[in-house]
Amino acid sequence: MRIIVHTAKCQGHARCWAQAPGIFKLDDEGSILPGDIEVAEAEQLLASRAARSCPERALEVDHAPAAQVELDAVQPTARQV
Amino acid sequence: MAPNPVPDHVPPEMVRDFSLFTSPGMLPTPNGDPHAAVACVHEGPPIFYSPYNTRDGQGTWVITRAKDQRRVLQDAETFSSHRSIFASALGENWPMIPLELDPPAHGVFRSLLSPLLSPKRVLVLEPAVRERAIALIKRIVASGRSCDVMKDFAVPFTVSIFLSFLGLPDHRLDTFVAWGKDLLHGDDEKRQVAARTIVAFIDELAAVRRKEPADDFMTFVVQAKVEGRPLTHEQVRGVGVLLFVAGADTVAAALGFDLAYLARNLKEQEWLRSEPDRIAPAAEELLRAYPTVQIIRVAKKDIDFEGAPIRKGDYVSCATMIANRDPTEFERPNTIDLARQENRHAAFGYGPHRCLGSHLARREIVIGLEEWLSRIPAFRIKESTAPIAHGGHLFGIENLILDWS
Ligand code: HEM
Ligand code: SF4
Repeated sequence: MRIIVHTAKCQGHARCWAQAPGIFKLDDEGSILPGDIEVAEAEQLLASRAARSCPERALEVDHAPAAQVELDAVQPTARQV
Repeated sequence: MAPNPVPDHVPPEMVRDFSLFTSPGMLPTPNGDPHAAVACVHEGPPIFYSPYNTRDGQGTWVITRAKDQRRVLQDAETFSSHRSIFASALGENWPMIPLELDPPAHGVFRSLLSPLLSPKRVLVLEPAVRERAIALIKRIVASGRSCDVMKDFAVPFTVSIFLSFLGLPDHRLDTFVAWGKDLLHGDDEKRQVAARTIVAFIDELAAVRRKEPADDFMTFVVQAKVEGRPLTHEQVRGVGVLLFVAGADTVAAALGFDLAYLARNLKEQEWLRSEPDRIAPAAEELLRAYPTVQIIRVAKKDIDFEGAPIRKGDYVSCATMIANRDPTEFERPNTIDLARQENRHAAFGYGPHRCLGSHLARREIVIGLEEWLSRIPAFRIKESTAPIAHGGHLFGIENLILDWS
């Protein structure tokens, strides 16, 4: 899976980094570093969840079709209030 | 209040009797829920015109959908934030910086200030924030089994963090709180006096820091250079005043709404207390459910926007509390689900003016809740008291008396 980073849209909310600091790296101002991100298989769920938390829609998840099926099977997580 | 004349270009069928200031539930109301009251706009059209929707009674377009607010706020070329809100109260005309600057000038100042409030920088500030929370809560625990959360915790906690960020000692805290109160909630005369006092204070602090530099924000600002030149007096003032306005009341209000919610929902309170890792995502959901800021832009040119004939000079309101209850953006928007995921709420705005203090604010809220929940047992609203909540340009809550006897 790959995350396409639309750098121009990033406004430094840092929601991606807050959830997955190992995957999404920020510069000193708190904006995402340019360049698309290849995500290892084990981190796909975390990465796509983090990408979907970007308020500006600056992160686009680009799944291989196989990864898509897998993700749909694990979600949604149980809620337990 | 008398309604304003609606401009001729606004089709009468697009005008709605709605206002963040005067609609039902917006005035200070005991046990009020102004956020639920505004959520009702989603039963109507996605965009409409409100004839009375700013503090000084001007009309605005109201953008209700999160998607459309994103479009407005991401497009600073068309929708300007240059309004001189603060200065105009004084009959002057200078921008609060960076809030009231448009790109490209905005970006220059934003880049200057961002590192001071970046996520990494906030990690450094964090221990002092926690220490402050603990000290205040310990004092509350020592003095009984009930307190006024705003007065005894939320306000002194957030204001003292903000004072130490600016480089000011705590002993002036009460003075600042009083200024902020007059500025945000006073009548016209009080507002003017408070605004003048704050400006004089910031000017003086800047002058002192020019002579006696310290390791603080104001020193950074007076020593900073933008495009090779130091900031002018007016620019230094614009930055200082914005920080005062942006950081003073917002975090306290958020903590107040959060603790009021938890006081009324004991099961959820215990759910967080028993597993503190749940607090950070829960705080996001509470920011979604109880955001406080109405954002306003001015159209710089004519534009037909999703069917609305917006004309140059029109005000456009992007109320965060409306976007955050948008059913096309959030599943079950009026249900508070502390375990909600992918919570792309609008509490801190969108686009180039996205709240610069959001990383600090988030940590203040989470740390405040963590320390509160771990030190105060099951708490509720004190019997025969009623917290007063209000709408307006900045939603808030007061008289929040909690009890854990
Ligand atoms: C929960 C607390 C807070 C909320 C809900 C909040 C909300 C907002 C919103 C919605 C905006 C965008 C305004 C617009 O686009 O017109 C904003 C801007 C801003 N906020 Fe906050 N804020 C909070 C706390 C803070 C704190 C603690 C600070 C300072 C340390 C701060 C500093 C700023 C600054 C400097 C801007 C202007 C950024 C720019 O124009 O580029 N805020 N805030
Ligand atoms: S969440 Fe979005 S806007 Fe925020 S830093 Fe990440 S990419 Fe940028």
